[in-house]
Amino acid sequence: MANGQAPSISRTFITGLWRENPTLRLLIGMCPTLAVTTAVKPALTMGISVIFVLVCSNLAVSLMRKLIKPHLRMLVFTLAIATFVTICDLFLRAFAPRMSEVLGAYIPLIIVNCIIICRAEVCASKYGLVVSAIDGVSMGLGFTLSLCFLAAIREILSTGAIFEIPILATVGNGGWFVPWAAMRMPVGAFVSLGLILGAVNVITRKK
Amino acid sequence: MLKWLKNFVEQSWLLIAASFVFGLLLALANLAWTPRIEQNKIDKLNKLMGSLISGAEKFEPMPDGVTVNLGRGKTAQCIVYKALGGDGTAKGFCFIAEGTGFADKIELVVAVDASFEKIFGFNVLSSSETPGFGDQIAYPFYNDQFKGAPADKLELVGAGDAKQIDNKIVAISGATVSSSAVVNIFNNYLGRIKQALVEKGVIQ
Repeated sequence: MANGQAPSISRTFITGLWRENPTLRLLIGMCPTLAVTTAVKPALTMGISVIFVLVCSNLAVSLMRKLIKPHLRMLVFTLAIATFVTICDLFLRAFAPRMSEVLGAYIPLIIVNCIIICRAEVCASKYGLVVSAIDGVSMGLGFTLSLCFLAAIREILSTGAIFEIPILATVGNGGWFVPWAAMRMPVGAFVSLGLILGAVNVITRKK
Repeated sequence: MLKWLKNFVEQSWLLIAASFVFGLLLALANLAWTPRIEQNKIDKLNKLMGSLISGAEKFEPMPDGVTVNLGRGKTAQCIVYKALGGDGTAKGFCFIAEGTGFADKIELVVAVDASFEKIFGFNVLSSSETPGFGDQIAYPFYNDQFKGAPADKLELVGAGDAKQIDNKIVAISGATVSSSAVVNIFNNYLGRIKQALVEKGVIQ
């Protein structure tokens, strides 16, 4: 997304989903990608939280963009991001306490997620409200889909289920599938993500 | 001075204004959701304690906490809850116990009978033990060994009959540190709390 004329809404939307997908193409936001993808439910919750924070912080930064002094911009960005992350954290603790416990410190850590500050700097501080909001939704959706895809692979191989719904009959329940405990651990995250990134590189290789 | 002040206001007015607006947003969210968050904590504790003591309808925190020595110079303040049945009779005692696990702190909700002679069981309140290994402290193989065990000094053993209920707790294969941590938590808390309840005349 270059300086100058605002990009079209459709182009902005597609950019975050694939061409500049934060996880698969830009390789940013790796900490939650590796940490919360043991199952689809926490991955989806993290994704929705990031969409909320991205959209709100992009809107706030876009609203203030003509007033922000360049040397103070990081302070203002961080202030906006920290506010919306704290609101998101309080909301989860109030209405989804179980998920809040599962995600633990990773919700407050959204404050230092590179995706949020990157979009504030690259998009929201330069363009209007509509483009900034679409960019937030698009980047957030791209992040959420990547997280859920990785989490689905890890969950089915580690428990034989997706969304806690049994798909493969495990040995413990008289079936054939032996769950891979390693997929629930960090090694499972690194190996799965490595294979997915390899596949993405093959798909996008320029001929 | 006036020039400096003018420069300061010019540079920082947006930051100050934004701080007020965002602070107000946070205050409103906090005001709206804090009662629900506190209620969630109470509900979770009551649910965990209620699942351990059958027939208990109410949990009353006892006055004055008990100071427990966790070793290595560390102490913890523990609140003991008295479990009461519908007719007001004591059904047992519950408390939150903590100790160091393999990855991080382990917090347990422990329940014992009204005469402090037998353990009713425990639930894991929070832990970061390794998935697939240390987190098996919550699984029946390990957890069930505590149900009915004497509320006395427990001993961790590497092998044995896990179905035999006594003071010997069989460790989880591949998670000896987590298994040992739970036994240590029981040993740190049971004796001290029993002593405190005897001193207060709550039990004999």
